[in-house]
Amino acid sequence: MRIPFFSMFMTSPFEGLQEHAEKVKECAWAFQQAIECHLANKCQTFEEFRQEVIQLEKKADAIKRRIRGHLPKGTLMPVYNFQLFRYLREQDAVIDAVEDALDWISFRSEPGIPPELEKEFVILADAVIDPIEELSKMVAEARKYFKNYSEDQRMIVKNIIRTLRQQEHEADKAEDVVKQKVLNMNIDAVTVFHMVRLAEIIGSIADHAENAGDMMRAMIAR
Amino acid sequence: MIQPYIILILGYIFGFYMAWNIGANDVANSMASSVAAKAITIRQAIFLAGILNVLGAVFIGSHVTNTIRKGIVSTEIMTDPHVALIGALSALIAAALWVSFATWKSLPVSTTHSIVGSMIGFGIMAGGFSVINWGKLLAVVLSWIVSPLFSIVIAFIIFKIIVRLILSRKNAFNQALKFSPLFVGITLFVVILSFLFKTPFGERLAIGSQTALAVAALLAILLGLAASAALKHYLKKKELDAEAVFKRIQVGTACYVALAQGANDVANAVGPLAVIYFLVKTGSVGAKVPVPVFLLFFGGIGIACGIAMAGNRVMETMGKKITTLSNTRGFSVDFATATTVLVASKMGLPVSTTHAAVGGVLGVGLARGMEAINFGIVFKIMVYWILTVPVAALTSMIIFKILQFIF
Repeated sequence: MRIPFFSMFMTSPFEGLQEHAEKVKECAWAFQQAIECHLANKCQTFEEFRQEVIQLEKKADAIKRRIRGHLPKGTLMPVYNFQLFRYLREQDAVIDAVEDALDWISFRSEPGIPPELEKEFVILADAVIDPIEELSKMVAEARKYFKNYSEDQRMIVKNIIRTLRQQEHEADKAEDVVKQKVLNMNIDAVTVFHMVRLAEIIGSIADHAENAGDMMRAMIAR
Repeated sequence: MIQPYIILILGYIFGFYMAWNIGANDVANSMASSVAAKAITIRQAIFLAGILNVLGAVFIGSHVTNTIRKGIVSTEIMTDPHVALIGALSALIAAALWVSFATWKSLPVSTTHSIVGSMIGFGIMAGGFSVINWGKLLAVVLSWIVSPLFSIVIAFIIFKIIVRLILSRKNAFNQALKFSPLFVGITLFVVILSFLFKTPFGERLAIGSQTALAVAALLAILLGLAASAALKHYLKKKELDAEAVFKRIQVGTACYVALAQGANDVANAVGPLAVIYFLVKTGSVGAKVPVPVFLLFFGGIGIACGIAMAGNRVMETMGKKITTLSNTRGFSVDFATATTVLVASKMGLPVSTTHAAVGGVLGVGLARGMEAINFGIVFKIMVYWILTVPVAALTSMIIFKILQFIF
C-alpha cells in the first residue's frame, strides 16, 4: 500500500470539534434535570445528574486533548489552528461552567435555593440551556460551509452566532434579576453570597457560548 | 548465440514484472480521488484505469521512452553490445526489486526514479562516472521540486477558481452547469494537445504546432460544449448541488490521469526492454531508437494486469481512509496531476505521477479546501524520493556484477 497519498489525509479536527459539541449538548439536559430536581422538595437524584455532568466533562476533556495532541505542525485546514484552539477553549469552558454550577450548589445543598428565588433561577437556568444546545448545530453548519464555501451557508452560520449573542443577552438579564433580588432580601450573608455566586456561574455558561460564537465568526471570516 | 535470447526473455519477464508493479502501485495516484469522492466505483476504476493505461502507453508513450533510455546515460557504453545487454537487464531487475520492496514496506517511492537510478548505476559500472549526463541528472533532481510545485500551483488555482466562480455563488448548481464547458474544455485541450504533439499518432498527421494548437482548441471547445449539453440534459431533471456536476466531470478527469499515467510510466518498464530488444534484433543500438508499438502495448498490458490484481486492495483502503475529498476537490487534484505529468513528459522530464498527485492534494489543502491535510508529511515523503535514486543505483551495480559473472 502506497503511503504518500494516504498519509496526507488525517482525521479531521472538525470531527473532534463536533464530538465535543455533542458532549456539551448532552450535559445541557443533565444540568436542567439537576437544577429542577434541586428546586423540587425532596430531591434524590441531584447527585446522580451532577455525576453525569462530571463524567461528560471528563469525556469532553479527553476529546479536547485528542484534538490538540493530533494537530502536527504544518497541518493545512480551512482555518488557522490557533483559531481552532481558541474556539475549542471556549466550547470547553461552557461544559466546565456547567460543572462548576452544580458543584457550587452541592457545596451547600442545605438549605439550598430559598423558595422566593426559585422562579428566577428556573428562568436563568432555562436561558442558558438554548445557547448550549445551539453550539453543536453551529459546528455542523460551519463544517458544511467549509465544504461548499457558499454564501448562503455562511449566512446560516452567522445567524446562529447572532442568535447566540441574543441568548446571552437574555441570560444576562435573568442573572441581573436574580442578583438584584438576592441582594435586597433579608437573609443571612452566606446565603446571599452563595446565591449571587451561583447566578454568576450559571450566567457565565451563556457568556462562554457567546464567546465560542465570536470565535466561530472569526473562523468563517473571508 | 543463444545467450542474448535468454537475456531477452528475462527482459520480457522483468519488464512485465516492472509494469505490473507500476500498475499495482500507481493506481492509487490516478484513481484515488475519484474513488474516494465516490464518482466511480472500485470496479469501474480498475476497468477504466486498465484500458486507459494501455491507450496512454501506446498512443502517447513513445517520446518519453526514448528520453529515459538514452538521456541520462551516454550512448558510449552501448557500443559493447554484451555490456549494454547485461546493463539494461540489471537496471530493469534492480528497479523492479526496489519497487517491490517499497510496496512491501509501504515506502513512498516513484517508479520513474527507480528506473532512472538503476540506469545510472549501470552507467557507472559500465563506463565510470564520466558517462553520466549530469545535466540530465540535475533535471531529475529538479523534478523532485518542480513537479510537485507545478502540481500544487495548478491545483490551488483550479480550486480557487471553482470556489470563486461556482461554490460561493448563489445557486451553485446552475453556476456549475454554466461553467462546465470551461472545465471540460481545458481538460480536453490538454489531452488532445498531448495526443497531437510528439506521438506516433501526431507525427502521422504531420501538423505544425500552431495548427495543432488550433485543432486542439477547436476540438476542446466543441467537445466541451457537447459534454456540458449532455450534463445539462441529464442533470436538469433533478435539483442537485454543484458537487453533483463535478461528480460527472470527475469521471473524465480520472480517465485523464490514467491516460497520462500510462503515457508517462510505461517508459519505466519498456525503456530498458527496448534497449535489450534492439540489441538482440540488430546487434547494436544507434543514437536514436524508435520504440516499437508492440513493446509499448506489452508494457501497457503489464500495467493493466497490475491494476487489475492489486487495485482492489489499494482502493478499499483508500475508500476508508480518505473520506473528506469531495468532487470539486477531487477534480482539482486530478486535473493538476494529469496536467503536470503530461506537460512534464512532453518536455522529456522524468516526472513521477506519485509526486504530481501528492502536489495536487497539497495544492487543494493550501487553498483551504480540505478539513485537514498533513503538510509536514511531505518532508518525510521527500526523503524517500531522494533515497530512491542512490538505492536503485547501488542495487543495479550489484546485479550488474552478478550478471556479468553469470553471462
